[in-house]
Amino acid sequence: MKFALALFAPPHAPSSRRALRFAEAALAGGHEIVRVFFYQDSVQLASSLTVSAQDELDLPAAWRTFVQEHRLDGVVCIAAALRRGVLNGEEAQRYGRAGHNLDAPWELSGLGQLHEAAQEADRLICFGGD
Amino acid sequence: MATLHLLSRSPFVDLSGASCLRLLGAGDGLLLTGDAVYALQADSRPFAVLSALPADRPLFALAEDLEARGIAAPDFVQAIDYAEFVELTLRFERVNSWL
Repeated sequence: MKFALALFAPPHAPSSRRALRFAEAALAGGHEIVRVFFYQDSVQLASSLTVSAQDELDLPAAWRTFVQEHRLDGVVCIAAALRRGVLNGEEAQRYGRAGHNLDAPWELSGLGQLHEAAQEADRLICFGGD
Repeated sequence: MATLHLLSRSPFVDLSGASCLRLLGAGDGLLLTGDAVYALQADSRPFAVLSALPADRPLFALAEDLEARGIAAPDFVQAIDYAEFVELTLRFERVNSWL
């Protein structure tokens, strides 16, 4: 079956870790993930500048590795990202910012990508809250 | 249309669980994750409400969230792991997350 996942909560929220565990289990169960969409505060997961304490799970790194290893479509909402200071090189140049913090495998795009994923998948599973 | 509802917030600080129960119909399922498993705290009001639900509204809770909070699954709740979580979302026609 095909899954689309959407995340809403910041990196330190338990639901952002739960989403990763669900995604791992979905692939392990032989299912497909058509897209992972990062919305609202979850866009911080895609920032390459986040530093986690040494004795804590580095969830941004864990998500990055997971998306890279399985060649998933990891889409970050561009409007949510820009307002939270998560920019790729192109957007940093467009808005005259000194640096950027979003690189591959992440892609900045619009909310339409969430809608499209929801249409393409058999199930859309949203993760937010605590 | 049978819906699986996902809750993640504690019933003691948030009303999403109460709202969800008002919409929970025959055949719908409820999965407690994260702090929502505090609804299974023995002798609490949420526990009493959940234990009184009709049997055609199956209840589930994520096992690791129960274990992390030292809560045992009562007999009217099925504790599941992530593999079962994935399969559970396919048993229902749609999944609604209360964010």
